[in-house]
Amino acid sequence: MFGYVEPDKPELKMREYDVFRGYYCSLCKTLGRRYGQVSRLTLNYDLAFLYVLLDSMSSIPIGGKRQRCIAHPLKKRFIIFSNKFAEYTSDMNIILMYYNLMDKWTDEKNVMGGTGALTLKKAFKKAKKKHPEKCAEIENHLKALSDLEKQGCDSVDEVADEFAAIMREIFECKCIDDENDRKALGWMGYNLGRWIYILDAYDDIEKDVKYNSFNPLISQYGFKGDDINSFKESIREKVNFTLTYTLSEVEKAYSLLTIEKNKGILDNILYSGLIVKTDKVLQERGIKNEKESL
Amino acid sequence: MRKNPYKVLGIKEGASYDEIKRAYRELAKKYHPDRYQNNPLSDLAEEKMREINEAYDELMKNAGNYQYRPDYEQSYDNSNASGGAYRQQYQQQQQQQRAGSQSQSGFNTQYQYANETDLENRARMYINSGNLNEAQKILDRMKNRNAAWYYLQGLIFLRRGWYDRGYTNIQRAANMDPANFEYRNALNNLNQQSTGYRQNYYYNNSYHRSPDMCNLCVNLWCADTCCECMGGDLIGCC
Repeated sequence: MFGYVEPDKPELKMREYDVFRGYYCSLCKTLGRRYGQVSRLTLNYDLAFLYVLLDSMSSIPIGGKRQRCIAHPLKKRFIIFSNKFAEYTSDMNIILMYYNLMDKWTDEKNVMGGTGALTLKKAFKKAKKKHPEKCAEIENHLKALSDLEKQGCDSVDEVADEFAAIMREIFECKCIDDENDRKALGWMGYNLGRWIYILDAYDDIEKDVKYNSFNPLISQYGFKGDDINSFKESIREKVNFTLTYTLSEVEKAYSLLTIEKNKGILDNILYSGLIVKTDKVLQERGIKNEKESL
Repeated sequence: MRKNPYKVLGIKEGASYDEIKRAYRELAKKYHPDRYQNNPLSDLAEEKMREINEAYDELMKNAGNYQYRPDYEQSYDNSNASGGAYRQQYQQQQQQQRAGSQSQSGFNTQYQYANETDLENRARMYINSGNLNEAQKILDRMKNRNAAWYYLQGLIFLRRGWYDRGYTNIQRAANMDPANFEYRNALNNLNQQSTGYRQNYYYNNSYHRSPDMCNLCVNLWCADTCCECMGGDLIGCC
């Protein structure tokens, strides 16, 4: 479900790419330092994006140095110094991934999910202690989400709403002092969450048909067991509209934020990365784009 | 605390008139109320618009004071007027919107039971102020599911972020009452927002539109041919 928010790499400047990777590495190191080495495996791009976004809203200049790390022992890499935003996003990373793995374990009896959740348990408890009200909210929405899934809810909007609300909770970071900025961040998170959920649903249609599991697109548009590709084809335009409109709302929220630095990286993700990803999943246009970008 | 007008417009201090105007125009387009219709952040966008207008006015006013020669001042006044066109348009639109919603409600009183219209107006008010739960309660109470009902229901869904249902409802309203300008307009706006975002990407991305050498040569050749038609010559050797 996670890892859809990525920059459009061919369009990034070399320096911007270095800085983005610097943030990613910084978050990874922060995870390792605070929650143990195993937790570093759970790091994902969506949270790395949140870290870049939050840090870009403070006017303190970027600081970092070239360091070695376990994942890349041969070459020193530019790594940004950890700060309160890195700590916040690493907490959120642990919380989200723990719930995600637990969900896999309880729903599908996925052994990998079970063992993963077990190893993260201690880290999760620590993170939960720091953000009890956020965890309570997220748990409520997750409960509602799994209830809707069990009922076989036939409205994409309704199911996506619960997941989107979780992302809103995560984006509304208390470290950001300005109330307006926090409000815009919340709306951005909501819409980004909605986009991730629906895109993931479209991506999973084949798998969900095969294993007969719940998928809001299948129940809303009534898949009758004929050809999967023609079904995907028939709903593509509708899904495309919903996704693109959702992204336009993400962009509107983004343009209201006070961004002090890293504008190039953020613009790249907001105006290019997200839509490239959308097209890649919706395929039709994706195949063409990939060829062009090579 | 007053903000630095140059920073608000995102330009360097001492930027030229054209730069100020261009920056102003870009930002005015970005925060235009049309773009933030049915958006919970519309108040933030309005505030931003106000900031931009103030910054622009201040820069234009200050620049005017620094000039001693009256003929220059004259031309600055002109440029001021043309640069501020967006603001005028914005103010006009605001007025029109207000007038529009009033005439809309006036229209309804003539055609419907007073009670239903009253409910409809109250629902509209709640939607505008962002109190979606109250608006939804009112809509649930209304029995007459006409085009206006579907339109309002659509607006509530859009505000909540349920775009799929929002679109369906507004589309239904527009189909039920094809002559209504407001519904059609809302539907067009939705489509425009979505395609607008995509275009933004395609136009921003240089690898989709970078001019190649072939294009350049053809253009030169065309220009040369045109010049020769008129009796002149652009490239002497051919």
